[in-house]
Amino acid sequence: MNPVLVGVIGILILLLILFFLGMPVGFAMAVVGFCGFCYMVSFKAALNMVATDVWTTFSQFGLTVIPLFVLMGYLAFNSGIAERLYNTAYKWVGHWPGGLAIATIGADELFAAICGSNTATAATMGAVALPQMEKYHYDPRLSSGTVATGGTLGTVMPPSVVIIVIGLQTEQSIVKLFLGGILPAILMGILFVLTILVLCRLRPDFGPVGPRTSFKEKIGSLPGVMEAIAIFVLVIGGLFFGLFTPTEAGAVGVFCTFIVSLASRRLTWKAFTNSIVETLKISCMVFVLVTGAIIFGRFLAVTRIPFLVADFATSLPVPPFVILAFVLLIYLIGGCVMDALGFLVLTIPIFFPLGIAFGFDPIWYGIILTMVTTLGAITPPVGINLYVVKALAPKVDIGTIFKSVSFFVVASIISIIILIIFPQIVLVIPGMVR
Amino acid sequence: MVSYLEKMSIFLNKLLFGFAGITLIGMVLLTCTNIFLRCVWLPIKGVYEFMGFFGAMVTAFALGYTQMKRGHVGIDIVVNQFSARTQGILNGINYFICMVFFALAGYQIAVWGTTIWRTGEVTETLRIIFYPFIYGVALGCFILCMVFLVDLLKVLVEKKVPDR
Repeated sequence: MNPVLVGVIGILILLLILFFLGMPVGFAMAVVGFCGFCYMVSFKAALNMVATDVWTTFSQFGLTVIPLFVLMGYLAFNSGIAERLYNTAYKWVGHWPGGLAIATIGADELFAAICGSNTATAATMGAVALPQMEKYHYDPRLSSGTVATGGTLGTVMPPSVVIIVIGLQTEQSIVKLFLGGILPAILMGILFVLTILVLCRLRPDFGPVGPRTSFKEKIGSLPGVMEAIAIFVLVIGGLFFGLFTPTEAGAVGVFCTFIVSLASRRLTWKAFTNSIVETLKISCMVFVLVTGAIIFGRFLAVTRIPFLVADFATSLPVPPFVILAFVLLIYLIGGCVMDALGFLVLTIPIFFPLGIAFGFDPIWYGIILTMVTTLGAITPPVGINLYVVKALAPKVDIGTIFKSVSFFVVASIISIIILIIFPQIVLVIPGMVR
Repeated sequence: MVSYLEKMSIFLNKLLFGFAGITLIGMVLLTCTNIFLRCVWLPIKGVYEFMGFFGAMVTAFALGYTQMKRGHVGIDIVVNQFSARTQGILNGINYFICMVFFALAGYQIAVWGTTIWRTGEVTETLRIIFYPFIYGVALGCFILCMVFLVDLLKVLVEKKVPDR
């Protein structure tokens, strides 16, 4: 049988059947990759390939960065840092229309700088901000959307698990990708704030004005953000100046967050063990996804589909940005039907070479893919952050939460368009590193 | 029989998960100690190798427990639309495929570990044996297999759809 036809059957029929059987995405990719390789080469070769890939991926030094940054995020989650960040932001902007929602985005931005997971960011800030917004009679269409969307900053702002996975899968520098994510995350935050301001201008009942605080109180709240900024500067600064490898930066981040958590007396033994348990589960899930994608990628390489897709797309008489728009649309739709990270690792073997064939800068392209992947976390029906908010605000109808993110999805798409028009926003900081 | 197997599976998975947790803490301590010693004296030799092996243990030993807790991401919006009986059948097929796959993967990894042991292959920097870590990954695969076996038996014998 024609290798391309085998590949298409593998992707469109076998993989989709396994997905819809409910098989975890990582396992399904590994099984299809194994079966496809078996058919194309031989059973023995497929078996050897699986054994080698499982061992090589699990023991890859580069991947050890994942559990460390995830642990850092979970320690921060249990440390009370989020509350102090929120209180500071609230003191500064709480008296604006929609001020509590803006404070949530501000605190999200800072918390994202020490936590690499959008779910953890949404859960942490939601637990702190949703009761406050309810107390001040914020409309759930604003409050739930703010919390769900603010969590996505955790994926773009370094350290980010999604960026690490993209870096490892595409063999790009994680340091440069981390640095490339800083300004886009700030841009996204600004656009979210503008969205809140516009919404509250049109519908003042969405975000009633909160109590005003004195200048002394504002200044007095600043130490609340210092620990998060200090950890971020140490970790990302260490990477920027070449003092640490990403793995070392993760370990230093864990150590510092642990010390801050101990000093704040918020870290109980139970919270510590929970952090370890959640870290192991998430890291294992990511490792399985990456391993599955690598095994699946071997099969795709044998079928030559990624190269043929790239050749076909480059031969089309359309500008590269039309192809880019098409790719981003696929990610947007893909993120609606399956887990965003799962969809990303599944499609990178096809779409990353395609972008490179079009001459896109790999760091810029990686960040654009990260940003579109984050949208998957807030697009129904499988957007994980929506369910995090639902769990935190059980009284709010899931339909209202779905609607609430729609304003912010527009802001996210605008930020992606801005980055496509001005790629320098992504590339300026990585360009400073040799 | 199924409940005995399940108890054994839970015990073994929790045990391995505990080892994974201790290994994770070890990774943090080893890296921080290395940075400290590098600043004041000399770096620890072979940290790169140890971190890779420890990372392998962390993942392999957490495989089964993560599956027990349904921590691996999947698409369940289609399966959830079916009746409990159909869900049971679909889950059963799913568990069977995964069980066979990880049995094969674990077996082949163990065979490869044995080859490394017999040929006396050692790491590049520290010149130490590393086949025990390969066996560790094979063990993780077999324990994951056991989780799928228990889930499959639950579907077949007890006609029970495991919680998702």
